[in-house]
Amino acid sequence: MADLSRILTATRGRGRLDWTDWLSYAYLLLGLVLMFGPVVWLVLSSFKSAAALNEFPPQLLPYGQAATQVPGHAEALPLYRVKLPDGSTRELVELRRIGIEATMADPKHPDEEFKVNIRDRERVRAFHLALENYTEIFGKFDFGRFLWNSVFITVVATLITLLFNAMAAFALSKYRFGGEKWVFLLIISTLMIPPTIILVPNFLVVSELGLLNSPWGVIWPAVATPTGVFLLRQYMLTIPGELIDAARMDHASEWRIFWRIILPLSAPALAVLAIFSVMWRWNDFLWPLIVLSRTENFTLQLALNAFQGELTTQWHYLLAMTVLTLLPVTLVFAFLQRYITTGIASAGVK
Amino acid sequence: MAHLELAGVIKRYGDTTVIHGVDLSVRDGEFVVFVGPSGCGKSTLLRMISGLESVTDGELRLDGRRVNDVSAAQRGLAMVFQSYALYPHMTVYQNMAFGLQNIGTPRAQIDAKVRAAAKLLRLESLLERRPTQLSGGQRQRVAIGRAIVREPTVFLFDEPLSNLDAELRVQMRTEITALHQRLKTTMIYVTHDQVEAMTMADKIVVLRAGRVEQIGSPLELYNEPRNQFVAGFIGSPRMNFLSAQVTDVGPDGVRIKVDSNAQRGAATIPARGDPSLVGQTITLGIRPEHIRVHEGGAGEIELGATIEQLEQLGATSFLYCALPGGERLTVQVAGQVDKRSGEEINVCFPARDAHLFAKTEGEPAFERLRPAARD
Repeated sequence: MADLSRILTATRGRGRLDWTDWLSYAYLLLGLVLMFGPVVWLVLSSFKSAAALNEFPPQLLPYGQAATQVPGHAEALPLYRVKLPDGSTRELVELRRIGIEATMADPKHPDEEFKVNIRDRERVRAFHLALENYTEIFGKFDFGRFLWNSVFITVVATLITLLFNAMAAFALSKYRFGGEKWVFLLIISTLMIPPTIILVPNFLVVSELGLLNSPWGVIWPAVATPTGVFLLRQYMLTIPGELIDAARMDHASEWRIFWRIILPLSAPALAVLAIFSVMWRWNDFLWPLIVLSRTENFTLQLALNAFQGELTTQWHYLLAMTVLTLLPVTLVFAFLQRYITTGIASAGVK
Repeated sequence: MAHLELAGVIKRYGDTTVIHGVDLSVRDGEFVVFVGPSGCGKSTLLRMISGLESVTDGELRLDGRRVNDVSAAQRGLAMVFQSYALYPHMTVYQNMAFGLQNIGTPRAQIDAKVRAAAKLLRLESLLERRPTQLSGGQRQRVAIGRAIVREPTVFLFDEPLSNLDAELRVQMRTEITALHQRLKTTMIYVTHDQVEAMTMADKIVVLRAGRVEQIGSPLELYNEPRNQFVAGFIGSPRMNFLSAQVTDVGPDGVRIKVDSNAQRGAATIPARGDPSLVGQTITLGIRPEHIRVHEGGAGEIELGATIEQLEQLGATSFLYCALPGGERLTVQVAGQVDKRSGEEINVCFPARDAHLFAKTEGEPAFERLRPAARD
């Protein structure tokens, strides 16, 4: 904590702020607002009621119109501060409204009615977290199902990605064989092919395999990533070959060397790839959109898209769901990022 | 119980031959040291024996059985690496148990073996630590422990002490020697340090550029080096080499005359030589410890030299001298000397301690003339 505050209050000038400090802090602040602003806006807006969202000018905090229960009315009625013709100001509820004239009443004496021009009143605001945005999406939509689809695809695809890429990287970094460089170049060169180019061929393959409308149709084409192979191979090159020799002398089979020596020592690189893979698969939109056409197979990203109706969009639900969609990736990043900075492979070998 | 034999073992990488046909026999329980300058192929030879490196040609036999195509794991050997190669993510205990787990040893047996090895190597209190938390000497002992638990037929050491500081190196040297005496297992040890070779070995194999220069016990190599390379490599400080003229070859030895500023330069060296050498220039080798700072007597060669540098270690002194001909001479004197650099001195050595090396056709080294029968 002390370290954190030291970093946050670090300056170039001693004791006072140098002009470079002003510049750096201004730049950092701009970056913070640019990157974090939309996220804050999204989270705050997700707690607004549908009415508050439609308000103009928009409010930053989730203020809603205050409403109160009035005897004889089932629903809570909206509260207004009204300037009456006699010059006094009172808080009244709106009973009904026709054109620019509203019929209003005192919540304590609902029998006494006032005719008020709507220009003579203003809304009474109250801080209100529309938690129902979150609770209702579980009932209204098959949110649990979309969540499960997304989680299943992300977790399974990430596990397979880690396994396959680590195996390829192990072979490419620790075995000498003819054409090894070419195989590696071939894998790396696929980075230069934009995914949109191979969209149609990929679709045909998946279709022929009968994997359309199945989570496996999303998983299989995505698991072999050149980035992952490259990342892991470069890391595995730093694992000393003598460790593998030692393991061979220790009667370890090649599989066992892979599982017990290479994988544990590649943990930092695997963690980085896991973060990438989770983000890729979780945020993937185009490929699932093509492969999955039935609603029950939708991932969260597809479901979010489906919320945007042609005529109306239920923004309050959409925003709440977007926040929920962001959470897992954020959590994964928060927990795995410490592995990025930890290197443990060079230890034990001088 | 392992008897190891190498017959014409050759290693090639493409067109480059790095091991040119090595013949060697290692008896059971023997401590063999491969020594040579860096790049001489000693580590490659060790890795070929271990099975980590394939044998291009020739035969490798373990107890009479050809093992060229047997994998490293199946040969039943254990190796201690220069970098120790401890698994950094495992504790000391797991490091030592890994090999036994791989061959499916029951848990209780693994535990007993690991603890016994730990006791032998004084590692009991470190079993739960990770390699990073250990000092160099402790890591070295863990690496040896990992080799011991599997009860191998042959231990292979690949320059195991080169990462340690001087003091620890001496200590680990005696520990490994003590271990060899206790276990009585065959050990093959690779080093570039001739002191390690001399102190530890039953048998030394001197290698140069992928060829065996000489095989023998430490004292054999010291007393009877087969050529100038071995003579220069074994012994510290290095043997002095002076050029000399052969004046006569007789039945009692080779009559030579040392070129450089010899007060008493002519002597008969008890060595066997070919009469055709008469009139040729050959190399005379003399160890620093055989030279005295004194006037020479009968049967001795005496030279005049200038002290360039002086090292007084208390018990011994080293005099680095220059001869007028430009040659250099190191003299080792027991005790302390009352000399200073720049001083002119007379040094002498008995002719019978000198070695003669002649240049022969097609041979890279000066082959030593076979000594005549000595008393």
